[in-house]
Order: sequence, then structure tokens, then C-alpha cells
Amino acid sequence: MSEALQDLSLSSQSPASPEAALAVRELDFYYGEKQALKSITMDFRKQNVTAMIGPSGCGKSTLLRIFNRMYDLYPGQKATGTVLFDGADILDPGLDLNMLRSRIGMVFQKPTPFPMSIYDNIAFGVRLHEKLSRSEMDARVEDVLTRVALWKEVRDRLKEPAGGMSGGQQQRLCIARSIATKPEVLLLDEPTSALDPISTARIEELLDELKQDFTIAIVTHNMQQAARCADQVAFFYLGSLIEMDSADRMFTNPRQKQTQDYITGRFG
Amino acid sequence: MSKTMGEGWRKDPRATQRLVMDRLATGMSFVATGILVLALASILWTLLWNGLAGLSIAALIHPMGPPGSNGGLANAILGSFIQTAVALILATPIGLGCGIYLSEFGSGSKFATAVRFVSDVLLSAPSILIGLFVYLVLVAPFGHFSGIAGSVALAILAVPIIVRTTEDMLRLVPVAMREAGSALGAAHWRVVLFLCLRSALPGVLTGILLALARVSGETAPLLFTSLGNQNWSFSLNKPMASLPIAIYQYAGASYDDWVRLAWTGALLVTLGVLSINIIVRFGFRSKQS
Amino acid sequence: MTSAAAPRTQPAPIQEARKIPFWKGDRLFRLLVAACALLVLVSLGGLVLTMAFGGSKAFSTFGPSFVIRNVWNPVTNEYGALAPVFGTIGSTLIAVLIGVPLAFGAAFWLTNIAPPMVAGVVGTAVQLLAAVPSIIFGMWGFFIVVPFMAQHVQPFFRHHFGHVPGIRWLVHGAPFGYGLLTGGIVLAVMITPFVTAVMRDVFAVMPPMLKESAYGLGATRWEVMRRVIVPWSRAGMIGGVVLGMGRALGETMAVTFVIGNANTIGWSLFAPRNTVASLVALEFPESAAGSLKLSSLLALGFILMLLSFTTLAIARWLLREKKA
Repeated sequence: MSEALQDLSLSSQSPASPEAALAVRELDFYYGEKQALKSITMDFRKQNVTAMIGPSGCGKSTLLRIFNRMYDLYPGQKATGTVLFDGADILDPGLDLNMLRSRIGMVFQKPTPFPMSIYDNIAFGVRLHEKLSRSEMDARVEDVLTRVALWKEVRDRLKEPAGGMSGGQQQRLCIARSIATKPEVLLLDEPTSALDPISTARIEELLDELKQDFTIAIVTHNMQQAARCADQVAFFYLGSLIEMDSADRMFTNPRQKQTQDYITGRFG
Repeated sequence: MSKTMGEGWRKDPRATQRLVMDRLATGMSFVATGILVLALASILWTLLWNGLAGLSIAALIHPMGPPGSNGGLANAILGSFIQTAVALILATPIGLGCGIYLSEFGSGSKFATAVRFVSDVLLSAPSILIGLFVYLVLVAPFGHFSGIAGSVALAILAVPIIVRTTEDMLRLVPVAMREAGSALGAAHWRVVLFLCLRSALPGVLTGILLALARVSGETAPLLFTSLGNQNWSFSLNKPMASLPIAIYQYAGASYDDWVRLAWTGALLVTLGVLSINIIVRFGFRSKQS
Repeated sequence: MTSAAAPRTQPAPIQEARKIPFWKGDRLFRLLVAACALLVLVSLGGLVLTMAFGGSKAFSTFGPSFVIRNVWNPVTNEYGALAPVFGTIGSTLIAVLIGVPLAFGAAFWLTNIAPPMVAGVVGTAVQLLAAVPSIIFGMWGFFIVVPFMAQHVQPFFRHHFGHVPGIRWLVHGAPFGYGLLTGGIVLAVMITPFVTAVMRDVFAVMPPMLKESAYGLGATRWEVMRRVIVPWSRAGMIGGVVLGMGRALGETMAVTFVIGNANTIGWSLFAPRNTVASLVALEFPESAAGSLKLSSLLALGFILMLLSFTTLAIARWLLREKKA
């Protein structure tokens, strides 16, 4: 299969290019006995949006949850291989997980506002890693809320509980919360699947701006979304990376039959 | 690897402090769990050690007797069985009925809200007060203690447990099943009794068993109702022995053989209560999954 | 229920024939179950009313000051509620002060730290032990805790703190082993498994994604616990604590064996005291029908009912907050 992979496809020996924020090599993942990812090798380029598509259960969300070691919370799950990030292997057992997670932020399928005020939701993550004065914190909160285009909507109710916002607002708050700790990589696990079309469009616009500063990895079920916002697209099937290419090529001229079938809606 | 690690991995100056807090909390929580487990192990150990020492055939087949007479607990065991059985026979239909009322007719009505609240109050009411109440209603007017009074007191304790589980379980029955039943033209009461209650049966049975476990170890409500009896007692109209009361009488006594019997009785009660709980937790769970 | 699937060929008569019993059946059914509900309502009403009427003689003899009178003397026929109420609230507070940190720590450990196998075993054991009858705790207290307090704890405290101003009053008293603190400790051991089980359940229903979000920001386990899990489950936790408190308030058997049964009040944690429930258990059998003593005991029962009712009302109010 590897000779068929073109362009962005890599062999397991490829060195991590300086452009790659995350360089995945020969990555396997197991839920107990069950292998969920098979020998994944791919690069996530800096300041790019990389979309991962594929049918349910193909392993794309699993891959995302490896990058911030979320799977560590659950015994019986294990990963082998390497994932290089800023010169360190993410899978290294000795790695400082709290630091890793402050450098690689994650946004989940459903909005997950913490049971506290809008302001404190953002300050929560910042306070963990930095000691800011009151005015610096205020500035940080305003800055990130402005970036997610939420500032005007909530500036007068920063002290109110975050649970009172609409779903779309909550999800933008979660993105703001993630970028407030100044991560380098942002992982998005189907961030719009629980949102209405208008909120979805807003978040997609937001991604376009955020990629100036962050490396973004997004899992999505929505082909149009991948076509609209991604620079590169990776297609997963049954735990394997079938094909990875620029978004344009992937959707106009996929090389693999399986990719073609999936994109044209013949399965998945 | 570490040589090539990027600048971004430089240690956060507050990381150590945060880590220490985390370790401290972890350690304290471990200690708390340890203390709890130790205390509970001490209870079980004492119970087994002393209870097994006095456990004998004689203890199981002889009735209670004066100190040194090689007495047993047989009449108390039988009395406990009779009283809890009668209590459940009284409590089950009432509890089921009340639970059905709350789940089927009890949305939004003030009466149902009151009943639900009252049932919760009864659930956590001090059990000795229930004993006092039954004394005033069923003992004082008749002039004598009786097994039936004890059973009624236990039933009052059991009802709210059955009410709670019945209502909860019936509410879990999918609306689709009710609608399917009604769509066939079945009357509401048939739908409730034969469809809903049936599909909720494991849960409802769990409630009844938990009620059984709860009342079979209760002492306080029996003190002023069935009183206890040193001899065999079969009539519900007379004072009746029970294991918890026998334990209560014997534990504080200064005769060694009575104290030993108290431990044996405590072991028997605990084993009974725990085995019911184990059946509920494991028996039903495996069946459901 | 299958009878309803009547053949379609003869629609009219079936419709007619079914109509009347259909409603009759449902009416009767509704009446029956409503009667059961009424019975539950009546039994609590009866409970409260009999206590109130039975205790009315004590209330009318001693006036409202019955509640704050510090006397319990069957010889002079003078009674007051202060000492047993003091003992009840005191032992319950001690139980909560000891039990709640233990329960919180254990629930934190079981849900967030322990390996799943261990958490399963310990969690189940704790849950099972919440069901052990209270008389067992009483016996354990009587035969194990009381001697331990008398031989080790009390001498230790008297030796080290007996002369420290401010504290010496707390540890004052002969080393009997019985007393308020012993009662509180036994109650704590009795309610901790229950409170632990409730807290564990409350922590367990926390949406995993919310927890992961906090970890995803780089928080440590303790930070996730303190900043996210605890605020999220606060109402449920407090509800569990208050329910545990309610159990301790009305407990008879676990306390009667160990509290010493003396109708006194004072600062000492080691002096024998009494609670409403144990006083009733001990003195009720010796009270003549219609006597002032009996009435005073029933008045005490009424006060205990009020205490228990209040804690339950608070717990329900807190738990409702959560649902909304």
C-alpha cells in the first residue's frame, strides 16, 4: 500500500520535518486486546488544519486522544510507536502530562463548560500554569473571548454561570478556554456535531483565523466541513490510515478506491 | 531524546508545588480509605471471631434460657422470621400500590408530592419513634405487647423503601411499551400490572429484598412492640422473641454464655443481611446484563 | 392484555361491551393505589400526632422551657430536654466531623486513584457494610472501642492536654471509655460507609467529557477534583452528608451501648452523656402509662422527629437544586 501513498504520505523511516508540529511514526493503539490503530505514520504541519475523516469506529478520535495522552486516564489502553512533539516523544512514560496537556489543547464533541462562571472557566486553565495579576488575567480573558468572537456577546455577564449560554456559545467558550493556556496544538474532536448550522459556520470561520497561531487537528464526520476548513485531509478506515493528501486533491482526485467510495457516500 | 527536546519543555516553575499538592491529596485520601477499611475490618473480624466461637448446634436448636442452662437462640430466630415475614406481607402490597400511584397518577398533583415527601420522611425517620408510635396505637390500647405490633412497626419501616424503588423502576419503563399496550386496547390497570410492573420486576424485587434486609436487623422498633420473649412464641397476639432484641438483652449482660450468644446472634443477623444484599447486587446484576 | 386483540369482524358490540368495565376497572385500580398512598400519608400523620398529643402534657406542665430545661429527675418528677438534645446534636456533630473527611477521602480515592480492581472490591465492601444493622456497630463499640478509649485514648489526652488552657475542659473526666466522643466515633464509623457510597455515586455520574476537559487543560487529579468535580457535585455531596447526619441523629442501638447514659451537659468529650433515642430506649419501659415521665419521653420523641424532619428537608432542598 505504501507505494500508492503519494505526496503527503510517509514511510515509517521518514524523518520528522521541521514543518511538522506532530510527527507520528508506526503508531499502534490497543483497547485491552483490541487493536484500534494500526501502524499509523503521518505528519501534522504547523499552522495548518489537518482533518481526519472516516466512518465511525475507524480510529480517528482515538488518534486525537493519544496526542494529549487522554487514554492514560483509562487502564488497559496502551499505545506503542512514537509521536514527536517539540523534540520529545509524547508516548514517553516519564513525560510531564500536565505540561503536555497545557501545550496541546483539546475541544470535545459536546460543549463541556465547567460548573463556574464564564470568566472562571477561562481563568481555570490559565491559573494552573501561570500566575497572573488581576489585570493581566482580565486582559487574557478579553483577548481569547475576542478571538472566538464571544466578547461582545458575554462582556456584561462574565460572572454568570457558563451553563446558561447557548450550545454554540458554550463550544466557543471551550475553544477560548483551550487557547487561553497558549497551546501550540489544538485538537478538536467533532466540535460541531452537537451544534446547529449557524454555530457550526461560526466555528469553521474561527478555525481559519486560529490556524495563524495554532496547529489544528480536527476529527469530523462532515465531509463538507473537511473540504471547507482543512488544508490536509487524512482518511482512516478500520484503524489504518488509507490516504492523506491536500484537501483539494483528496476531494477531487482520491487515489484509493476506499477513499473514493467513502467520499462519494457509497459507505460510512 | 532529552538532548533534542525543545525549549517549550522547560519546567513550569509552579509544577513542583502543584505536584506536591496532588501527591499530598492522594496520600491523604489513601489514609482515609485505609482508616475506613481498618475500622470495618475490625468490626467484621470481631464479629467473626466472637460469633463463630459461640456458634453451635445447641445455639441453633435450643430456645433461650437462664444463664448457664445451655440455652440457644432458636426461638429468637424463629420469631425474627415470623415477624419479618408478616411485616413484608403487610408492606409489599401497600408499598407497591403507593409506588404505582406515584408513578402513574402522581405527576403534578399536590397530594402525590405530599405522599412522596412523607414517604421520604418515613424512610429516614428514627426507627425508635416508629416503635413508640406503634406502642401507643397497637400495644397500649390492648394492654399487652404482641408479635403483630412488632410486625407492623417493621412494615412501616419497609413500606417507604418499596415505594421508592417501585416508583423509580416504573418510571424507567419506556413510554413506547405503555403506548404499545394501550394501542392494543388494554386498560390502564392491565398495562401497569401486566406490562410495566412485569418489566420492572427485577428492580421492584430488589426493593423488596432491600426492605427485608433493612428490617431484619432492626432492634429499636421492636423494643416496645413485640418486647421479646424467653420462650417459644408462635402467637402473633403475644410477646414474641427476635434476634436483635435477644442480642440487645444478652450483649449487656454479665454472664459469659449470654454474651457469647449475643455475638453468635449478631453474626447470624449480619450474615443474613449481607447475603440478601449480595444476592441483590450480584444476582440481579448478572441477570440484567 | 391479549384479550384486547379482539377480532375485527364484529366491531360494534365489542366496543359497547368493553366500554363500561374498562372504566370501572381503571377507577377501582386508581382508588386502590390511591388508598395505599393515603395510608402512607396517614401513618406519618399518626406518628407525628401521637407524639405531639402524648407529649402535650409535658409541654403544658413545663411550658416551652421544656426544651431548654437541664433536668431529668424521675424522683422529683421534673423533666427537661436539654441534656438529651445536647447529647444528640453533639454526638451527631462529632460523627459528621470525623466521618465526612473520611468519606470524602475514600470516595476520591475510589473514583479517581485506585486501580479499578481494588476500587471495585473496596467499593463493594463499603457499600455492603453500609447495610450492616446498627446494633452490630453498637456491640463493636461496646466491646472494642470503649476499652480502647479507656485504656489508651483518654489517658493519652489527659496526660498531654489535661493542663492546656482551653482544651483541658474538653478532655476532663474519669477514663470510663463511655462518653460523647465514643458515641460520636461509633456513629462516624456507622455513617461513613453510607456517605462514602453516596459520594462515590455522585462523583461517578459526572460526565467523563467534563473531567477530560479539565485534564486536557493540564490539571492534576487533585485540581480536577477540587475545581471541577466538587463544584459540579456539591449539592449531591451535601445531600449525602445531611442524610448521613439524619441517620446519626435518630440512631438508637449504636449509641445506647457506648454513650454512658447520663443526663448531663458540659464541655468534656469524655464524660458520659445521653441522646434522645437512647434515653427513650432505656426509660420508656419503666414509665407508667399516663405518667408525666412518659409524656416527657414522647415530647422528646416529637423534638427528635422535628430534628430529623428538618435535616431531611434540607437534604431534599439541596438535592432538588441539583436537578434543576
